[in-house]
Amino acid sequence: VSALPVEPRTVQPVAADVRDAVEDLLTGYTHVLDDGRVDEWASLFEKDAIYQVTTRENVEAGRPVGIVLCIGRPMMEDRIKALKLANIFESHVFRHVVGRPLIEPAGSDRYRVRSSFVIYRTMFTGRTDVFATGRYDDLITGPGDGFRFAERIAVLDSRVIDTLMVYPI
Amino acid sequence: MAVVHDCTNFDEAGVPERASRADPLVRWPEEGVTRVPFQVFSDPAIYAAEQRKIFRGPVWHYLCLETEVSKSGDIRTGWIGETPIIVTRDADGALHAMVNRCAHKGALVCLKDKDNRQSLTCVYHAWNYALDGRLKSVAFQRGIKGRGGMPEDFDLAKHRLQPIRVESFCGIVFGTFSDETPPVEQYLGDRIAAFLRRNMDHPLKVLGTHSQMIHNNWKLYAENVRDSYHATLLHTFYTTFKVNRLDMDGGIVLSDRKWHHISYSKRATLDAAAEYTTANVHSAQYDSQLAAPELLDAWDGFDDQITHSIQTIFPTLVIQLTLNSLAVRFFVPRGVDKTELYWIFLGYETDTPEQERMRVMQANLTGAAGLVALEDGCINSFVQRGTVGSPDHAAFIEMGGKTAESNESSRATEASVRGFWHGYRDIMGFAS
Repeated sequence: VSALPVEPRTVQPVAADVRDAVEDLLTGYTHVLDDGRVDEWASLFEKDAIYQVTTRENVEAGRPVGIVLCIGRPMMEDRIKALKLANIFESHVFRHVVGRPLIEPAGSDRYRVRSSFVIYRTMFTGRTDVFATGRYDDLITGPGDGFRFAERIAVLDSRVIDTLMVYPI
Repeated sequence: MAVVHDCTNFDEAGVPERASRADPLVRWPEEGVTRVPFQVFSDPAIYAAEQRKIFRGPVWHYLCLETEVSKSGDIRTGWIGETPIIVTRDADGALHAMVNRCAHKGALVCLKDKDNRQSLTCVYHAWNYALDGRLKSVAFQRGIKGRGGMPEDFDLAKHRLQPIRVESFCGIVFGTFSDETPPVEQYLGDRIAAFLRRNMDHPLKVLGTHSQMIHNNWKLYAENVRDSYHATLLHTFYTTFKVNRLDMDGGIVLSDRKWHHISYSKRATLDAAAEYTTANVHSAQYDSQLAAPELLDAWDGFDDQITHSIQTIFPTLVIQLTLNSLAVRFFVPRGVDKTELYWIFLGYETDTPEQERMRVMQANLTGAAGLVALEDGCINSFVQRGTVGSPDHAAFIEMGGKTAESNESSRATEASVRGFWHGYRDIMGFAS
């Protein structure tokens, strides 16, 4: 499993209702996480979906190990269970700001989607910092019974994580 | 208004008293290695002395992996403490290391993490160096149109990038500023060198890298990684998911000077070994309540039953092999209360695709988002923040006794932590 860099290319226009549905999924995702509704997170993915957080450096070098890798919804659910029951960390919240996505058809009912993100982290102390910037490289399926992620690769611009990463981004 | 100084009293009040002590920087409690004065985690003067005595002292430091400088012209930059360094491989295949500081004005010469070039040129005034650090040419050495230029007595051979002694062992490039540092293998000692060979003396393949900025003094991480007492108390992933590791308690091995250590645990059920050998790869070898237990798929890489190990090499290098997840960690002080922790996840070039897949999945266990150990990213900052206002108080480190000796029957001990402080006090001149 590796996140290959997406080549810049001319994006074919997609139907307005598809764009709306994709943008709603992207926006809904950020609010699920920023509201702390982590139990809903995995449900935004296909059952066998891939979720990875990696860095630009690893992607460019073609390296398979990033920072987080989940293959399938059960592995995502294990991560959520771990952060709720096992992991110890200081309380904090995220605020995602996501740019307008590029959307390109990738076969029937599948779309390659790319968007930029900035994530601010606010600690319980009140301190707010930029936690991460980067891009999402997504493979999204739909309409079916709803648009979902078949693949979501969050590629961080920096190789450095401040302190730790416990919540999905 | 006249201020009268009584010189006699002034001297007796301070200067001679401080100067007469073995070391004026710290007053170490007389209990020795079972106490650590909190001052050592936040005092800038001690931090500066460490740069001199440890980082620029008779100690081998991790510079990079050989695989990162495998071809001639390869260049890798890094740090020894706060000193920026360059590692190169020249046209003849020889490794060199030098300080990344131009002999002219002191500017950084290499500005990238990695590069491949025939020579090194400082961008400021174009001083040009060979890959071994020798100065080759100076721009406008003879001036322009006969004017300016260097004085007649300027000699290229008298200027160069400051060299660092370099030695490669088990695929790791080590460097030292001191001529007195013994050869790497001797520096490590037999047990530590043998275990490093076990894990690292293979064709290494980098699977991924990242780093973590942790908000604590570098020594708190050095302690933390030697601390086998906290493992199951702070890190509860295995117990939460009832992962039956089938492991018996392992042991602790300290090097002669107590600088380096190995902590290991073994699988207890030896009778299962035959079954494992035939299957070679065991799905769900570890019973658990994980919804996706394949995260822990593993195979027996070695025949010594050791399933988890952490090895430290003083001062700032760590090699982990947890299940099959092999990683080099090294940490770089970024100020008295800040440390950058680097993770390099590794496999062997000889791995099968299935083995590589398992290493990739197991990488989820450690690192900045490691399911098993992500707490180490914040725990040391809790100590930093807890102690910063109490330089005169000290930590109490007596779990498993008061000495720093190997213990191959239990890991419920802080012996390796005491070992670190033993070595630290020794090299810093803080031992009474």
